[in-house]
Amino acid sequence: MLQRVLVWDVPTRVFHWTLALSFAGAYLTAESERYRDIHVALGYLMLGMIGFRLVWGFAGTAYARFGSFLYKPSAVVGYVRSLFSPQPEHHVGHNPAGGVAIFLLLALGLLLGTSGVLLYWELGDEDLFEELHEISANLMLAVVVVHVAGVLVSSVLHKENLVRAMFTGYKQAANAVSIPRAYAWLGVVMALLSVAFLIIYLGIL
Amino acid sequence: MLTTQRLVLALALSAVFASVSAFAETPQEILDGFATQAKTEDPAFQTFDAARGELFFKNTHGNDWSCASCHTENPANAGKHAKTDKPIDPMATSANAERFTDPKKVEKWFKRNCGDVLDRTCTSLEKGDVLTYLMAVK
Repeated sequence: MLQRVLVWDVPTRVFHWTLALSFAGAYLTAESERYRDIHVALGYLMLGMIGFRLVWGFAGTAYARFGSFLYKPSAVVGYVRSLFSPQPEHHVGHNPAGGVAIFLLLALGLLLGTSGVLLYWELGDEDLFEELHEISANLMLAVVVVHVAGVLVSSVLHKENLVRAMFTGYKQAANAVSIPRAYAWLGVVMALLSVAFLIIYLGIL
Repeated sequence: MLTTQRLVLALALSAVFASVSAFAETPQEILDGFATQAKTEDPAFQTFDAARGELFFKNTHGNDWSCASCHTENPANAGKHAKTDKPIDPMATSANAERFTDPKKVEKWFKRNCGDVLDRTCTSLEKGDVLTYLMAVK
């Protein structure tokens, strides 16, 4: 029996889409001095979101916790193999491959944001941080591409819309329990803080 | 997993080596490089011209920004970023010995800033003229 299960709490969803938009926006504004303010603001926002996620990975709801999607390399390989078999493995939260993508995105995002801040504040070796900034940005884009492809493939194979789940928080699952609280207030606070930060930093209004 | 980690490590290491191995050059050597390129772009190329470079530097080229918008009308002075207000070290080689000593940096900033000011890349003639001007400013 499939049931409607609440999997993603609101802060996790707000984090996800803010991270996605800030990374995309910063990538698109990277090549021009005209958008330098926007680029830097989105970088700070991305770092703030990653900082929150690192805490939420230990303090958040069940499926958001790092422990729930930290798999051994063999489990990751097993999951990817199962996708080509008649019975692909199904996970209610992050699947093992998705978990790898998240750890990589967090690590690369941290490297990207930190090297960007150090460049902007003119601290440390400029040449080194410039290289790190560019390399981590392009690696992160590559992981994003794989992540999106994985989401699409898994959505088709498991006949579930994973993109919609990252908006609504709900999935259809058997033998799984909903997380007890969605922490909507915290998600709302994060979204409001993000918007307020951008308005103030960019001097809009 | 392991291969991805190795890839990241390899790329990080190569970044370190790339930055260490960037050859230091003199502004004159970089200018000579522009002259060689200018000849291939236009066989009729003769010499660079500081006055032409100064005009180019201060012209907005039909847009809102010129080079001087951030680097000021006097490149021997420190400039100020038009968007972030952050200080920019002087461009004139007489005022800043580090300018035009790293070919990679020179290419990077000509590419970015020509894009911002002219909406295109600069020709080697334009780059050489500007550098001749920046080397002439006392």
